[in-house]
Amino acid sequence: MSAASPATAAVRTPVAAIAHWLQHETRAREVRITRLERLPGGAIQENWTLDVTFVGGEWAGAHEWVLRTDAPSFVAASLTRSQEFAVLRVAHANGVIVPRPLFVCTDDTVTGRQFFVMKRIPGIAAGHLLTRDPGLIPDGEALAKTLGANLARLHAIAPPQPALDRILPPPRSNHALATVADYRAYVDTLHDAHPALEWALRWCEIHAPTPAAPTLIHRDYRTGNYMVDAGRLTGVLDWEFAGWGDPSEDLGWFTARCWRFARPDLEAGGIARSEAFLDGYEGASGRQVTRRDLQYWQVMAHIRWTIIALQQAQRHLAGGERSLELALTGRIVHELEYEAIAIIAEARQ
Amino acid sequence: MNDISSATDLLAIARDALTQQLLPLLPKERRYVALMIGNALGIASRELQTGAAADAGEAQRCATLLARSGIALSPSIEGPAALAQLRRALCDAIRAGRFDQPNAQAALMEHLTRTASDWVSISNPKALHSTGESA
Repeated sequence: MSAASPATAAVRTPVAAIAHWLQHETRAREVRITRLERLPGGAIQENWTLDVTFVGGEWAGAHEWVLRTDAPSFVAASLTRSQEFAVLRVAHANGVIVPRPLFVCTDDTVTGRQFFVMKRIPGIAAGHLLTRDPGLIPDGEALAKTLGANLARLHAIAPPQPALDRILPPPRSNHALATVADYRAYVDTLHDAHPALEWALRWCEIHAPTPAAPTLIHRDYRTGNYMVDAGRLTGVLDWEFAGWGDPSEDLGWFTARCWRFARPDLEAGGIARSEAFLDGYEGASGRQVTRRDLQYWQVMAHIRWTIIALQQAQRHLAGGERSLELALTGRIVHELEYEAIAIIAEARQ
Repeated sequence: MNDISSATDLLAIARDALTQQLLPLLPKERRYVALMIGNALGIASRELQTGAAADAGEAQRCATLLARSGIALSPSIEGPAALAQLRRALCDAIRAGRFDQPNAQAALMEHLTRTASDWVSISNPKALHSTGESA
């Protein structure tokens, strides 16, 4: 089957194009896609369930996979699908619990966008469900400990990594100060002045920790981005923000109050006390995490969320994407600033 | 008591009509749109009631804070433009390190905490900490 064939070129559907490409990747004699359906969620990336059966080749048999591709509107700051695939492959090879990455397609002519294919993992990711229904997570402490140890395995990956060095921007000598500078550069493009945000940035500047040796960090490791099945971790999702950085950034993001959903009293992502999470992390990494470290990166987490919320508001107000959801996301800036100031107050005591 | 509905009352009754009469009729996958509309109406109503007072309080505290730090402002500007100018001057002073010292920090923190909680009371009152400190 070739794209130039007059019988198929005009009518070739994405399903046929994907089947054709998979046949080439797997060297199967025959490929049957039995299901290709968009999964809910994902404003930046789209995930599709992909059920496929191969006849012949090394993947002979039936498989349940997920196809992940860019949504029409994407965020320039995140990785492309092929870059995300490379990160996922390195994480998987180093024992991080993730959906196993299988194939990547960088050829835009297949579906019009880059995509990759990974194993489908069972479970639920939605934070508002996981933090509300005790039946979904019977032992939150055990899950938090697993999540901590899992993150430690990610943070064991340090540069240089041949598979990543051409893809990821090189690590900065002081990740915290470089991050403050990035956020200020954005703040300076805004119309209004934001004193609470400005003070949180100044506080992070004058309290910047001694730079840690850079490691691979996820930058969105939090409840809502991992799958839980029968109370157990089945995989960490959404690797598009990964990069080199200070590993404590992931710890602050995971424990920040803005990611605790229905259980703000449970510091470890709304599922357990922070001790369980840090216990798993410290045991597997050998690193000690101080309260001060955690507070610092929780302030940074709220700054980052504030910046993202401001960007969403801009899309609605000035970016030609009028949307109630984006407008309301802008309004969470107030509670994010309030949280950042509250953590600073706690740290000053 | 007004003889006819105020803007605040209209927003409140519109929100009630939406959540009590329309929301139960909506299919599950559309409910979140109605919830978002209800949320937006609630925020608008609270801002209408206390937004101006929050701004006035912020402007007054901010002016005091800057004056105590010896930062002069042009006095001619008034209204929303004055608040915008005060916020800008405060941000510049913060970035320049004028509030790094413990006493200045404490005064700044008091101002920012008050301003932030006034606006959380408008945007999402449920997010206010009951004890006034972080959990």
